[in-house]
Amino acid sequence: MSSGWVRMAAPRDHAIRYGFIVLLFGLIGYFAIAADGFVSPQSAVFIFQSVAITGVLALGVTATLVVGGFDLSIGSVATSAMMAAAYVMVVLEQNAVVAVVACLLIGAVVGLINGWLIVYMRVPDLLATLGMMFLLVGLQRIPTEGRSIATGMTMPDGSVANGTFGAAFLALGRHRFDFFVPNLIPVSVVVLLVLAVLIWFFLEYTRFGRMMYAVGSNERAAELAGAPVKAYKIWAYVISGVFASIGGILLAARLGRGDIASGNNLLLDAVAAALIGYAVLGAAKPNAFGTAVGAVFVGVLLQGLTMMNAPYYTQDFIKGVVLVVALVFTFALSGRGQR
Amino acid sequence: MKITRRLLGKAALGLAGAALLMQVPAMAQDKPAPFDKPGAVKIALVRYLSTGDFFQAYLSGVEAQAKALGVDLRVLDSRQDAALQADMVDQAIALGVQGIIIQHGLTESMKEAAQRAVDAGIKVVAFDVNVENPKIPQIEQSDRDLARLALEQAVKDNGESWKAGYVYVAGIAPLDRRNETWVDFKKKYAGINEAAMFGTLDNPIANSVANQARSVLSANPDIKVMFAPYDEFAKGVKIAVDEAGFNKDIKIYSADISTSDIAAMREPDSAWAATAATNPAVVGQVSVRALAQLLAGEDPGHNVIVPPTLITQKDLIDKDIKNMEDLSAKLPQFAHADVAMRAWMPNPNAK
Repeated sequence: MSSGWVRMAAPRDHAIRYGFIVLLFGLIGYFAIAADGFVSPQSAVFIFQSVAITGVLALGVTATLVVGGFDLSIGSVATSAMMAAAYVMVVLEQNAVVAVVACLLIGAVVGLINGWLIVYMRVPDLLATLGMMFLLVGLQRIPTEGRSIATGMTMPDGSVANGTFGAAFLALGRHRFDFFVPNLIPVSVVVLLVLAVLIWFFLEYTRFGRMMYAVGSNERAAELAGAPVKAYKIWAYVISGVFASIGGILLAARLGRGDIASGNNLLLDAVAAALIGYAVLGAAKPNAFGTAVGAVFVGVLLQGLTMMNAPYYTQDFIKGVVLVVALVFTFALSGRGQR
Repeated sequence: MKITRRLLGKAALGLAGAALLMQVPAMAQDKPAPFDKPGAVKIALVRYLSTGDFFQAYLSGVEAQAKALGVDLRVLDSRQDAALQADMVDQAIALGVQGIIIQHGLTESMKEAAQRAVDAGIKVVAFDVNVENPKIPQIEQSDRDLARLALEQAVKDNGESWKAGYVYVAGIAPLDRRNETWVDFKKKYAGINEAAMFGTLDNPIANSVANQARSVLSANPDIKVMFAPYDEFAKGVKIAVDEAGFNKDIKIYSADISTSDIAAMREPDSAWAATAATNPAVVGQVSVRALAQLLAGEDPGHNVIVPPTLITQKDLIDKDIKNMEDLSAKLPQFAHADVAMRAWMPNPNAK
């Protein structure tokens, strides 16, 4: 390798490393000029709030991407958790704590089943989680025969459900913390940031997290080195399931009811954020920091475009363009996809 | 006077007695063929859309009216598969049904299937899908009337000049029809200024629309009225309005209703002022009745329109309406529509 090649490569390295961050700031700069009211603490908080739920899901799916897997069921885990929260509070008339615990349990159990199917039943990850996705979309509708859950609803047996969403539970979606400006930061944004820092630290700096990367990059080598590969993989799906159920809790708290939904759009947006994350800082691998930046990137785009009255299909289009560009950054420019 | 009263009393007693004795045979005799023999008529409901509260309620209406008429109902659900829905019509023909209700679908895929059913001598009605067939009555909830009722209330509440946000996704037939009314209204009232138009059907719809509405409100904090002619849109807008703390400054007008919508409208200081809705259960009942008319050799007319009802926040609070059942009980015009209702038909809503 000549020194000339190294000198040529340096700017290219910089482009790969910082290109996406520069693009993000460029975008913010553009919207700041083009859209009135884009630059304000409230606007910044909106952006985080609008991506909080998909962001949490994206962080969960990152854990499965790290071990070389994939989780298609996160969207339906989130909507199932939302239905479960509504069912526990409105129909069973329990309090917020019970609802949250029930949701987290659902997430953990679904994650365990996914992991078990993939590791012990040897079902390929995409297929196992696809099956789980359909299963959950159907399961969440069975208790209410396909109705959405809201206070005062009539149950299939003719009785009226009188429970309400607890104030403590609704606070998860509606309470705001003071931060320089009073009533600024909603709980969901705090949850997103805390989870992002947690999973980032966990994946990058703990032995457990680094072993997960080892499993993802070469499962056989990790196994020969004595790592309990199966356990790591199952844990990745449990993390993903629990994160998805946290997303579902936030969704239920925001909507204040149990809404029939497949969660497919949540899944797609979350996966997009995680994949965009590959390109951030030239990581070319799943990483929590990148995922968080990817989610914010999508949020900035949608907020700015909506403020400029762009219709929804142009937003989908631009989301797709960003994803494709990010993947080009990851695979072509960094040269890692050419193995 | 005395004699008259006694006579009247006797007459009444006699009539009541006769009615009691005669009730069962009389009812059966009153119904025209083929409804004079309970269970003799078999009909099929061929669905395109089925998930969601609206479609659930529609089905319950169809079931209730079919039961009241003593009709054997088969439900075939294609779950948004247009080709399968057309096949299901053939399946229904093979089942030997006398009547078919086509519920939603695409004109292109259903037109020929519907014609095949008519050719096989089967009576067909269609709800919310135009099958372009003069022999097939079209059941419709009037989307233009829905939008008109909500907008008239908006003008009544806010005057003729305001800045509006509008939620719309093009290409969805009922939303397109509601949009026509909105366009007319903007022409009629020059003071109505549409500051922003947005909308998405990404599910959960309310959550996605809330995100958009937040952006719109921060770009246009002077919006006074939000017209969201679909309740999922209205829910999303309400979440955004509440989060932005504008709930006392903005009024939301929408279409459609459900139990959770009622709860949202009843909240203290709720921005959701009014909605116009057709009871989906009633639409289901009307669909069956129109088909029954055809089967009995009567003509329900080519367009069977189920009129909407305006429901305001004030109605809900004053009449203490908490869910859809209360709404039907306390707003009788919502519970029952006298459309395609013949004297010989039992009313499933009568208790």
